[in-house]
Amino acid sequence: MLHAVSKNTIRESGARKTFRVFNVLFLTLICVVVVIPIWNVLITSLAKDQDVMGGVFLIVPPSLTFQSYARVLHSGYMRGFWNSMYVALIGTACAMTITVPLGFALAQKRLIARNFFMKLVSLTLVFDAGIMPLYVLIRSLGLIDNRWSLILPFMLSSFNLIIVKNFMMSIPESFVESAWLDGCNDLMALVRIVIPMSVPILAAVTLFYFVSFWNRYTEAVMFINNSSKYTLQVMLRALIYQSDGSLGEGNVVYDNTKMAVMVLGMLPVMLIYPFVQRHFVSGLMLGGVKG
Amino acid sequence: MKRTASMRAYPPGSLKKRLWKQRWLFVMLIPGIIWFLVFKYATYAGLALSFTNYGFRKTVSFVGLRNFQRLFKSMSFWNAFRNTLLISLYNIVFYFPFPILIALLINELRSVHTKRLVQFLIYIPYFFSWVVVGSIFVNLLSPSSGIVNQIMRSLGMESIYFMSDVRWFRKVLIAAYIWKQMGYGAVIYVATLSTVDPQLYEAAEIDGCGRFKQVIYVTLPTIRPTIMTMLLLNLSHVLMIFDQIMVMYNASVYSVSDVLQTYAYREGILTGNLGFGTAVSLFVGIISLLLVLGTNWVSKHFLEDPIL
Repeated sequence: MLHAVSKNTIRESGARKTFRVFNVLFLTLICVVVVIPIWNVLITSLAKDQDVMGGVFLIVPPSLTFQSYARVLHSGYMRGFWNSMYVALIGTACAMTITVPLGFALAQKRLIARNFFMKLVSLTLVFDAGIMPLYVLIRSLGLIDNRWSLILPFMLSSFNLIIVKNFMMSIPESFVESAWLDGCNDLMALVRIVIPMSVPILAAVTLFYFVSFWNRYTEAVMFINNSSKYTLQVMLRALIYQSDGSLGEGNVVYDNTKMAVMVLGMLPVMLIYPFVQRHFVSGLMLGGVKG
Repeated sequence: MKRTASMRAYPPGSLKKRLWKQRWLFVMLIPGIIWFLVFKYATYAGLALSFTNYGFRKTVSFVGLRNFQRLFKSMSFWNAFRNTLLISLYNIVFYFPFPILIALLINELRSVHTKRLVQFLIYIPYFFSWVVVGSIFVNLLSPSSGIVNQIMRSLGMESIYFMSDVRWFRKVLIAAYIWKQMGYGAVIYVATLSTVDPQLYEAAEIDGCGRFKQVIYVTLPTIRPTIMTMLLLNLSHVLMIFDQIMVMYNASVYSVSDVLQTYAYREGILTGNLGFGTAVSLFVGIISLLLVLGTNWVSKHFLEDPIL
């Protein structure tokens, strides 16, 4: 690769140079299109009330204050935040405790009836029954208005399962076998040998699960009618699309306060993203290859 | 050879003995399998409700194909079907090639750090919820304060009410989809591109291919399996489009954005006619399945590249 690059630099044509310049400009434009709206949300949330009155699109921060965050901290949106946290944390913990052992078991070629279990899992990738049967199921389990309705049905994702399984298949069987020699059973081998070897991929899968629980909207609308159990995403949608006035004086909710709720809605994910980001690619590649 | 290599893994003896040897594996396997049976296979069985009048009455009775007859006579169903197909088609035509293009361009960057930075940035929106993305677009496209309309006004154009204009709303949906998802696709393609053997490029260069021809004859064929897998993944959920619509649509654009899933939601859950709603779900599921199997068949027969 290096060789090829250096050869190119020696006889770089004019057209090639023009392309390079346009390429950099185009990708910069793409990045600006991605970053500016997020930046706008952030600085609007940090602006004073009088700087956002009348609706302006801020690119340069006019003022820096945590005024709107203080307002959000004392509002009903915090209950939404904690409801979302509850679902996302317990959900992710449950999801990992069920996905990792299943992925490990399916990765063992010696498993009796392994093909049957694999078929059982991969069929669900091709066919999805849609929302209605799930709603009926949740209703008949008596889980409507229960936060577990946002946890139980999403405790396993076939995509994440296949990532874990494929990664564990790449670990040589001799590692597990040597654990047996030390007197471990399969469960202990998983905990002591295989999990420590899979930390990066498990970190990525954990974040995938956390994001899916934290961001879930439609099912929260379908399964939760009791407003004290609303998740943050549901409350945020209502705030942006039809201001309910619980935050401002009178009936006005200033943009800075709306944006503060929005920052709250993306905060946990954004805090973890930079640390786990480099593991995503390998995770996605493992999930993309044939199951 | 297989026997000696994995004597321990395949101990001789009865099935009972082997099961006992693997008891811990089954302890790990069973909770997950039960989950699949309850939350996947039971919902498949639940599709049978589409042949009943479940929902309104206390007693549930079999009504044959009556739900489907009603469905196919309903104007709003055909409208939702048409919208689903149109939005899916736009999605495939406008969204799908985008990450490939971006990845090819990122691949042309020289500095590894710039490559990483671009990927890091464009991947961010993928982790936002549809609610956050929807809110960001409401913000951007607001007729009074949104930056898009401000730019248009400064160019002497009229403001457009993007979120409530039937001529614009579907375009907004696709733009938001591209904004949120392009980084995800691009990152996967960039990773695949790094696996292309550099010798192939050198060989192509000796054969007189310029950079553009190298992309056509070397790069694209090498990443074709990834493209096909991504296409299949995309097709498998394109008809299931739901979250984005639920977040972004409003009464003034129902006519162009009501899709099968939102139709099922309104008819089934809001109206309470669960049997009828399930019929819609079954219909979407079958069309989606045919689409996936069809693509896989095409890929297998014409590209000799089965994906599933």
